[in-house]
Amino acid sequence: MSVLEITNVVKHYGGVRALVGASLTLEAGEVHGLIGPNGSGKSTLNKVLCGTVAPDDATIVIDGKTVTLRSPMDAHRHGIAGVYQQLSLIPELTVGQNLVLGVERTRAGFLSTTSARSAVTAVLGRFGPALGRGVSEQTKVVDLSPGEQQIIEIAKAVLKRPRILVLDEATASLHRDQVGLVFRVVREICREGAAVVFVSHRIDEIMQLCTRATLLRSGETIATVPIASTTESELVRLMVGEVATMAAKNTSLSADSSVLLEVSGLGGDVIHDVSFTVRAGEVVGLGGLQGQGQSELLLTLFGAMKAHSGTVLVGGKHHRIRSSRDAAHAGFALVPGDRGTQGMFAQRSIQENVSIVSLADRAWLRFLISPRRERAAAQEMVERLHMTIGGLGDQVSTLSGGNQQKVIIAKWLLAEPTIILLDDPTKGVDISAKAEIYGIIRRMTAAGASVVFNSSDDRELAVIADRVLVMYEGTVRGELIGEQVSYDGLVSSALLIGMVDEDSAAPQDPSDAH
Amino acid sequence: MRTDTAKVETSSPRKTVWRFVMDLRVQALTTWVLLAIAVTLDAILQPTFFTLYSITSNFATFVPLVLVAIAQTIVVVGGGLDLSLGAVVALSSVLAVTIMGGRGDRIGLGFLVAVGAGAACGLANGLIVSVVRLQPLIATLATASIFSGLTLVVLPKPGGNVPAVMTEAYRMAVAGIPVSVLAVVVAVALWLLLTRTKLMRHIYAVGGDPAAAYASLVPVTRVRTASYVLAGAFSGLAAMALLANSGSGDPFVGADIALNSIAAVVVGGVALRGGRGGAIGAVVGAIVLAIASNVLFFFNVPTTYRQLANGLVIISALALSVLSPGKGAKR
Amino acid sequence: MSTISAFTSLRWRKVATNPIVIVSIIAVALVLVGQLVSPGFAAYGQVINMLRVASFLGVIAIGQTIVILSGGEGIDLSVGKVATFAAIIGSRIMDGRDANIVVGVVVPLVIAVILGLVNGLGIIYLRIPPFVMTLGMMGVVQGLMLAYTGGTAAGRAAPALTNLVNGRVLFSIPGALFIWLLLGVVITGLLRRTRLGWDLYAVGSNRTAANLSGISVKRTVLGAYVMSSMFAGLGGLLLLGYTESVFLDLADQYTLPSVAAVVVGGTLISGGIGGYVGTAVGAIVLTVLESLLTTLNMPNASRIIVDGVVLLLLLAIYGRQKRLRA
Repeated sequence: MSVLEITNVVKHYGGVRALVGASLTLEAGEVHGLIGPNGSGKSTLNKVLCGTVAPDDATIVIDGKTVTLRSPMDAHRHGIAGVYQQLSLIPELTVGQNLVLGVERTRAGFLSTTSARSAVTAVLGRFGPALGRGVSEQTKVVDLSPGEQQIIEIAKAVLKRPRILVLDEATASLHRDQVGLVFRVVREICREGAAVVFVSHRIDEIMQLCTRATLLRSGETIATVPIASTTESELVRLMVGEVATMAAKNTSLSADSSVLLEVSGLGGDVIHDVSFTVRAGEVVGLGGLQGQGQSELLLTLFGAMKAHSGTVLVGGKHHRIRSSRDAAHAGFALVPGDRGTQGMFAQRSIQENVSIVSLADRAWLRFLISPRRERAAAQEMVERLHMTIGGLGDQVSTLSGGNQQKVIIAKWLLAEPTIILLDDPTKGVDISAKAEIYGIIRRMTAAGASVVFNSSDDRELAVIADRVLVMYEGTVRGELIGEQVSYDGLVSSALLIGMVDEDSAAPQDPSDAH
Repeated sequence: MRTDTAKVETSSPRKTVWRFVMDLRVQALTTWVLLAIAVTLDAILQPTFFTLYSITSNFATFVPLVLVAIAQTIVVVGGGLDLSLGAVVALSSVLAVTIMGGRGDRIGLGFLVAVGAGAACGLANGLIVSVVRLQPLIATLATASIFSGLTLVVLPKPGGNVPAVMTEAYRMAVAGIPVSVLAVVVAVALWLLLTRTKLMRHIYAVGGDPAAAYASLVPVTRVRTASYVLAGAFSGLAAMALLANSGSGDPFVGADIALNSIAAVVVGGVALRGGRGGAIGAVVGAIVLAIASNVLFFFNVPTTYRQLANGLVIISALALSVLSPGKGAKR
Repeated sequence: MSTISAFTSLRWRKVATNPIVIVSIIAVALVLVGQLVSPGFAAYGQVINMLRVASFLGVIAIGQTIVILSGGEGIDLSVGKVATFAAIIGSRIMDGRDANIVVGVVVPLVIAVILGLVNGLGIIYLRIPPFVMTLGMMGVVQGLMLAYTGGTAAGRAAPALTNLVNGRVLFSIPGALFIWLLLGVVITGLLRRTRLGWDLYAVGSNRTAANLSGISVKRTVLGAYVMSSMFAGLGGLLLLGYTESVFLDLADQYTLPSVAAVVVGGTLISGGIGGYVGTAVGAIVLTVLESLLTTLNMPNASRIIVDGVVLLLLLAIYGRQKRLRA
């Protein structure tokens, strides 16, 4: 008897069909991968399983008994615990308080600190190696790094000793070492009889950890495959329907392309002494380990973070950039790293989201808006970027992640920028949309614009960038050109640059570097 | 895949336990400084300030606002707001004075009725905010109207007698400490007791991040409702303190206690968005506000200009908190 | 169900739950009830009078709408006091004569703008929550009034102002209503069809994204609070024209109803969604309700209970917030 059998799951959000008959079966002791493009319904299926989303229809059978999950408490009672990228931690409470949140032991309503302490100590010990020095039970969650917060989130679920553990993109913000630890713990709890649902965009993680995998596409289950007898490209093919070919190398860059952007000595709170040039039609990538100031560099160039020093020349002209308006006037565009909080106006319509930056260009006297002109402009973008939408008046929140990202790109394209700054634009975007975004980048560079591209995916960077600036501790330490811009080159340069400076670094396991 | 060292990412500094303590101290520091200033000013203007008599009568007027400040803290920490607390105090007080009918043996009953009525009002507020899901600011404005109306129905004009035992006891001193001061101490003790409960921890969680709390199996609806019920109960206690001080019933009492309690909460360093802060700061804030009102009284400013006092204190509190180090840089 | 009927029923549902529609229906219903209970309630003259009373709330609520739309827990609790202050200054300067009418209008408005500027600066640069800042401003304005008047309100409105507000212009509709209509149209146009308006909605919807989209959030929010105080001042001057003389709490009672009108009209307290049309209708509904209760000779106690219950009911229909479980 399977631990879990969930079938015929249907869920509509207004006009959007998130799930139309998806299903999943779990056996005890297995790690079951759940993969599919964005908008395929993976997250929704997991949320139905964890009780945070009410399905329109679903049949859920746990250990042979049919159950209904109406709330997270129901799911908990049936031994289900979930971990998402969106955390369930309370920032102002401590690690210890968060770990037992919702399941605190009490005596007559008063918190019993002793029993909590032992459980907390145990689980902290298990996850200790993945947490930085100085992280203790008393540390406030708000003071942890995103990766550490994710680890605590996972620890919190593990502390509940679940029968079914759902990890939904739980490894996205983790370092390699942390991922390794999580995998170890997952294998341990599977040996103890639990079952794990594992969702990840990283196919290699799926290949490494899972016994079987279920593929979702457009809200329904396409197939369930045993991992041992499958390959990466087979999985990708199943997801997209064809092998995704990465865009070919940049052909718009010629030897005599003029210098479009010249940055000298740029410094701020996080970055310092950054200097580089970008030629027209070039794609410059930002490499190095994660969190070394790449996002901050983009934000500073864009005027969203304060620059203490340095100059920025666009097309030879000096620009004083102190706000995003200054940056836009200078020809910059920024697609920020977190589209939900930084990029889009969720409650407003697609029309407004697309129009907002370049309103002044189309408005009478830069003030009065013509609805007709706005509609035409937005419609043109929808077609150009192959966006799948209901109507221009729909709320942006109803779109899939990939389409939302396209809306953000569209709003900047309308402003006709010459230097486009992209901060991890394909994070959480499915493969076909990714390919489309690469195509968009190619078209922009063909038209003479330049792109500065930050990515958490070295493979992507290897394909799309002409040159890579390797960053470390807020400054540019090295540069990769031509042949050096390869996956191996990127990975090793990131590691080496870090190692050269560290006296007492944590020991690096060379075999870990892929 | 981007490889990484085990090094901490540069974008988030780590604070130690020591800095945590420093933060707490600085936040409350401005409130204590204000208290010092207020007390000094009042002492200068009122030479008899430090006599037992004057402390007794001063504290006697503090107690209601202190209790309502605690009430408001509970709600605000949970991410809500309650503008009806003034009306709740009024309603509880008229119900209690009517039930007691001046009889000393009914004081216990009076307390029960006051706290019960307060809690019932709180229940109504809580259900409207968490089950019907109306925005607290507007919803409690509406319930304030309703409670005020009910107050007038129970007692259309000032009247009624508070049992003499109550008013006398309120003015006495036990072992040299005025009863009203003891009342404040007991109120604070109640709060501290509350902070050790699971419910209060959950209230902080819901105020900090409701979605995260929900996903963490915290019964958000129940917890939110409970925060309003607790606030109502504390307001019921405030009603009794008011009665003990004034000696008779008055349906028009507590008119600006709600806004004053919010001022107290803000001055005390409790974050209006919830999840942070404690009632001790609010209690000190309430005392500062009450003293500031006294100070204005000495400048012959009519009490209708109470809002002026609040305005001045709020501005001073905020100015101080901006000038003080550590708190200046906000996220 | 055929697609056509499915489509129309979806459209009907959207119309039926549209706050503006609901509030308008209620306004009309209340007038009809009033007519039934007390014949003459719905008479032309009566309705016009009610609308005139509503116009003061309506004008003051223009600013409140803008501030709440700007998001960031935006609210302006000082509008009542600012309106009163403007009326007091105006009446003192005009002193019952037409000669000083221009100065008597300009000076209060300028002062109102300055007060709004202070609000905005405190909120933006000192990061003081709007609730607290405007609460403090209430007290400050009260102190300023105390200093300016020495405790007693003096002066009278200029006859020209009184005529403007009360004078019957067309179909015996008083000038106040035309002024309100004009302001309402201008503001609605501003919100829906200008860059300023779209920027305001963007800022109210997501400040970070607005900041990263080339919008000056600081300027937008500052402008919102300046407008709020300015319209409060305008409302105060209109009130002055109506009552001809002032008292120290002339417009204090308009503050909370202005917030109620905005919310009843369908604007979200969190900002980013809504508009002025709803607020205007909301102001009308609140005023008609008060009139109705007065006509019914309801005792004060019952009246304020009904006020509260009606507000709750309206909000329960369309002012509910999202569930935590999707």
